[in-house]
Amino acid sequence: QLRRCKPLHWPSLPAQRKYMRSPLIPEMATQEVQLNETLAHLKTESETLKTKLEEERAKLHDVELHQVAEKVEALGQFVMKTRRTLKGHGNKVLCMDWCKDKRRIVSSSQDGKVIVWDAFTTNKEHAVTMPCTWVMACAYAPSGCAVACGGLDNKCSVYPLSLDKNENLAAKKKSVAMHTNYLSACSFTNSDMQILTSSGDGTCALWDVESGQLLQSFHGHAADVLCLDLAPSETGNTFVSGGCDKKANVWDMRSGQCIQSFETHESDINSVRYYPSGDAFASGSDDATCRLYDLRADREVAIYSKESIIFGVSSVDFSLSGRLLFGGYNDYTINVWDVLKGTRVSILFGHENRVSTLRVSPDGTAFCTGSWDHTLRIWA
Amino acid sequence: MSSKAPSANNLNQARQTVQQLRLEARIERIKISQASADIVKYCNQHQKSDPLIMGIPASENPFKEKKPCTVL
Repeated sequence: QLRRCKPLHWPSLPAQRKYMRSPLIPEMATQEVQLNETLAHLKTESETLKTKLEEERAKLHDVELHQVAEKVEALGQFVMKTRRTLKGHGNKVLCMDWCKDKRRIVSSSQDGKVIVWDAFTTNKEHAVTMPCTWVMACAYAPSGCAVACGGLDNKCSVYPLSLDKNENLAAKKKSVAMHTNYLSACSFTNSDMQILTSSGDGTCALWDVESGQLLQSFHGHAADVLCLDLAPSETGNTFVSGGCDKKANVWDMRSGQCIQSFETHESDINSVRYYPSGDAFASGSDDATCRLYDLRADREVAIYSKESIIFGVSSVDFSLSGRLLFGGYNDYTINVWDVLKGTRVSILFGHENRVSTLRVSPDGTAFCTGSWDHTLRIWA
Repeated sequence: MSSKAPSANNLNQARQTVQQLRLEARIERIKISQASADIVKYCNQHQKSDPLIMGIPASENPFKEKKPCTVL
């Protein structure tokens, strides 16, 4: 069983500089004292700033989201069922993504296979065998003409999809991203030309597909980065990432700067997803909770949890209006949350092992889940 | 053995942390009451066209057809 690499100690402590320890060289000793003072000074300032940040955030905490939402009409009963089951993977399904045409889906598995399906008919349209197992990430290109995937090979590769089903897709494979540890997630930006990746090496990166050139790298997580999501295009060039350091970071894609950071989860963050307006994002964690963070208030504004839910959340996504939050859990279920009121509105059963991936279709008519039970299910 | 003498590396890391925190401390924030009101407003505006909430008649939802269509 693959266990996510535990937090990197990054960067590593350098070897001792023997000359620094000798008190026989007075200048060196003075330098050492100066460096010590500077480091201590910086650490104090760091603590002061953290306290200030908490105080500033607390000042604006005048009410809870669910209180503001008290007058909102309650949601009715939901009937959501499995409408299609996609069978064909030989091992755990790890990731899936929808095509913009709202009917095709790409999925990837521990068995090294990447499959493109027509979700209406359940037919398999393409299949590629990757040179590695544990293909943890896959994504559909906006044009619908290519898919990207990667995992334990530490790379993200792009495969153009051919209309000729007999054509060997692997022959046209293009290696785009290179990390120094596993690829955990990938996403095309607004076009087929750029891909954003996250990795077990603790970084995210933006790549040019054509040349394979690294356009920007994003440093700041202290451990494996497990997930990412791009802001809806209207809200500008930012994305959010989540990691084993329990942090969710919001990044400026052009500068590489981390602009906001949130650390309220108690364990790894496995999934992050923007709220449709772009002003907030949801996260799902091994601490068995989903949370909502508002970017303009710069803090957590809701937590979706129950005492009876003790297994980690692997994947989250919003319905079209943002009123519902779907969470796929390691206890094989899907919990559906009322985002405004903070209550659970439905629990869905069907998978026979962990739900590992979950995405709502582009037009919001259905959502798809992938599971360690080797199948994908379409729910509506 | 760990080094007791601070290295340039530790110092750089500490400087970066302080710089990052200064940046984050400076951003403009709004009250949760206002942020929440905006989230509620967005939901209200879009809920009527949210298929998973409103439900679509089986005839219009390709996933809800009784028989999956087969491509001949």
